[in-house]
Amino acid sequence: MTGARRDSFDVAVIGAGMAGMAAALFAAERGLSCIQIGNGGSLLFASGLLDLLGVHPVAERRLWQSPYAALAALAREQPLHPLARVDAHSIRAAFESFVTALAAAGLAYAPLGERNRKLLTSIGTIKTTFGVPLSMVAGTGVLDARPPCLLVDFRGLREFSAAQIAATLGRSWPGLRHQRIEFPGCEGAPELYAAHLARALETRETRARTVALVQPLLGDAQAVGFPAVLGLARAREVHAAFEAGLGVPVFEIPTMPTSVPGLRLLSALEAMLSARGVRRRHQASVRALAFDAHAGTATLELEGISGGAGGERVFARAVVLATGRFTGRGLTADRGGVRESILGLPVHQPGSREAWHQRDFLDPSGHAINRAGLEIDDAWRPLGASGKPAWPRLYAVGSILAHQDWMRSKCGSGLAIATAWAAMDQVALALGGTGAG
Amino acid sequence: MSPMIFQTALYASLVLCALGLAWRVSAWFRVRVGPDARAVTLSRRVAAVFQGIAATLASRRVFQIPGAFVLDVLLQRRLFANEKLRWFGHLLVVVGFTLLLLMHALWASVTVKLFQGYQPTLDPYLFLRNLFGTMILVGVALLLYGRWRRRTGLPQARRRIDAAFVALLAFVLVTGFLLEAHKIASPRAFYRMAEQFIGTTDAEKLMPLRALWASEFGVAFADLKTPIAPHLVQQGRELHRDACAFCHTPPASAFVSYPVAQILAPVSGLLDQVRADIWLLYLHVFACFLGLASLPFTLFFHVVTAPISLLVNAAAPQRELPGQTFPTPTLSSAVRASRRALALDACVRCGICDMRCSVAPLARYLGNPGLLPAHMLQATAALADGSLLRPGREAGALRAAEGAFLCTDCGRCTSRCPVGLDLADLWEAARGDLAAAGLPAPAQWVQARAALAWAESLEAGPGQYIFSAADAWSAPLSADRRTFSRCVQCQTCTNVCPVVAHSIDSEHGVDLTPQKVMNLLRLGLGDLTLGSRMVWDCASCYQCQEHCPEGIRVADIMLELRALAVHRLGAVRSLGERS
Repeated sequence: MTGARRDSFDVAVIGAGMAGMAAALFAAERGLSCIQIGNGGSLLFASGLLDLLGVHPVAERRLWQSPYAALAALAREQPLHPLARVDAHSIRAAFESFVTALAAAGLAYAPLGERNRKLLTSIGTIKTTFGVPLSMVAGTGVLDARPPCLLVDFRGLREFSAAQIAATLGRSWPGLRHQRIEFPGCEGAPELYAAHLARALETRETRARTVALVQPLLGDAQAVGFPAVLGLARAREVHAAFEAGLGVPVFEIPTMPTSVPGLRLLSALEAMLSARGVRRRHQASVRALAFDAHAGTATLELEGISGGAGGERVFARAVVLATGRFTGRGLTADRGGVRESILGLPVHQPGSREAWHQRDFLDPSGHAINRAGLEIDDAWRPLGASGKPAWPRLYAVGSILAHQDWMRSKCGSGLAIATAWAAMDQVALALGGTGAG
Repeated sequence: MSPMIFQTALYASLVLCALGLAWRVSAWFRVRVGPDARAVTLSRRVAAVFQGIAATLASRRVFQIPGAFVLDVLLQRRLFANEKLRWFGHLLVVVGFTLLLLMHALWASVTVKLFQGYQPTLDPYLFLRNLFGTMILVGVALLLYGRWRRRTGLPQARRRIDAAFVALLAFVLVTGFLLEAHKIASPRAFYRMAEQFIGTTDAEKLMPLRALWASEFGVAFADLKTPIAPHLVQQGRELHRDACAFCHTPPASAFVSYPVAQILAPVSGLLDQVRADIWLLYLHVFACFLGLASLPFTLFFHVVTAPISLLVNAAAPQRELPGQTFPTPTLSSAVRASRRALALDACVRCGICDMRCSVAPLARYLGNPGLLPAHMLQATAALADGSLLRPGREAGALRAAEGAFLCTDCGRCTSRCPVGLDLADLWEAARGDLAAAGLPAPAQWVQARAALAWAESLEAGPGQYIFSAADAWSAPLSADRRTFSRCVQCQTCTNVCPVVAHSIDSEHGVDLTPQKVMNLLRLGLGDLTLGSRMVWDCASCYQCQEHCPEGIRVADIMLELRALAVHRLGAVRSLGERS
């Protein structure tokens, strides 16, 4: 099903965060012609780790080893939670499809399995997650066994301190050592930036000089951890070269956002969509969206973020809102309350601003405003003021949906990928295509 | 006119012309354009040119020259490709002028020898003289019209002396036509001839001949009654056949002068009294001599320079030309220097380059014609002779420098120049000279001081300053807080910036990172960014803008800050500051 006109598509996905990327991928995989509108920059805040569901219930901060068991509990206790609307079979299929596509685009993940993994963060805390890039996966093993291990950092790289990690974990991990080295070629630099180191390490010479600097520091270490700067486009090659050069497993520790794994994820997702013929307008936003009830098409009026490109129109038979909450600017908050930014759809929200937040900012149960979002029907269609779907083929996915607090539940990627999959099944059904189910 | 005066004036003009030519040609070896030209001695340049000529003559390239002479010089192929109308006008002028020169001006040494019985008052010469003169007038009119029609909206590059030359040419033609018209209508001329060939000036005796000449040759006898009796005309015809027909055909074929003669008829007696025949002749001839003597210094000089430029191009092109079958010789600085000097002389200011210039819209926007090629060429010439940098002309020099550094080197002027000048090479050389004269590219003069030093001099100058609504027209992004208010200082711009990545030592690297620039703008400290190396070293790769999670137009802002810096820092910059 390809639109006859160059500006007509089966599906228009608005938003280029994790949910928008997943929706565009799944649309393409279902044989639907697709245009994606939105700046993918928000993905740079991603860590490259794919959470599914780590914490439930939020108020108890209970961590789960099995995300699927957690999902089952969630479905029982919070049936309105978007993830409660997707069955486990679909979630498995969605994640497999997503990481397979990423691997084909050059970003390989460790086999997903059925369990959450534990991972070291750049400040020495431990994070529970589900999908882990291959370059980081050795870190999950050493965290469990805690063998002698060396953490290396670079002088001038502000966002990563091996000493801090060692200080936090040293008491429970006696074999954990840390060393600071000069990054080859940047000896005088007052400040280093992760992405530049990552690119520099793609040259064989810098790589070899770095390995040579670390080699004498190895001692009895059975694994070496680095900040996540081991290559960008050729990350696999850099990681392999480090392991071969040092002779022990090497793992990356995700750094503070915006990070190199975020850049890798963004470029892999972009490559993945390009390879599938998804049209991308990543320097544009949707200025206006209108629906023609008769023709059954939506008209999207675009504007470039640099201005000047105003007035361009594209047409789609189905529209997927993946515009996110407040940081993605899918929702707009003002003194009167919260509204959806493009169409002004009604937003499920606390009754008044006083009710947005708990008295205590760090209240374990989270804040009501963090569960605000769009109400949907069973077919993932946001509801209009009348309580019926706003338009027969307007769908919503990802964090713009109500009744979830993805940050505290550790379910951001899961929410994005699972809802995109389920909603795209409905899109395909409505457009008469094949549901991948 | 006495032969002595004529001869003296002619030889004086020829000597002046020859001296002028020698002086102008010597300029091709003397004038220095470009830093590389300054390093070459005069003798080296002379030698290089002669070596080049010898090498060309000894090579296969020599066979290119005849073809180029016909196609480029005679048929003006390059002008034809540009504009058919002006090509036609030019052709009319060239053909008309050449034939008029040979047949009329040089009649004694050319026409008489080729055609027996030549008399200026016989057909077809009578007709042809008018035809050639008219061709020139029409051709000049077409050239002027073509120039006017393709005007760029900015003043055109011109020299007063060129306008004076066109006026002189018109003056020669007009006096020529007037002289001829007056002689047709003049009774005095009739009686002078009658005395010479019939032996009488008696009006009554000559009555039949006068009747004929009045009715068919346009002589305006004041005392002849009209209508003229046909039998008188008939009688006159016999006398005419014996005494006059040998040298005279009816002047109606002089299709310009004859109607003019009829217009002059009522005053021809008066004109005879004031001896118009003498002073018109003097004006006509001396205007020609003036044109000849001043030839090396007027537009007319292109008769010499343009063919040389075109033939040199054909024999030794500077760069690959389409369809060229043999390798391009690499030119030494010595030859290049001479060709640049030649280019300054060979430009005819036709303005075709201005018309094709890809930054012409920018020139209009800035109101600075100095961006246009024909103006740049004039500025380059002024730079070479030192007049551009004379005290009191700073504004002109700055305009020229702005133009030179905004040129994008697209090469369209070079590819369209009807004289085949390598203008792109000339601009490169001129920029080198400008930089050496203390007028370097903005990136150079801005970066000669540190960002902080600039900010301090701004403070001392027109007062402390933050971008405000008043700047909205020139700096719409920097003056609008919404542009960068969303910045969360996430460093993504810095992380993806190849310029930051490349600058690893703090001495030559960027002083601010992109996100710091955004932050300074946010804090209202925009002046601190204007002279910063980040702003000026920005490669405009747009990675920052494409990656910014908040959709901030980082790269567009950098470009805008550069434009703003030229404007604001230029105002507090002390001229001639060496960088």
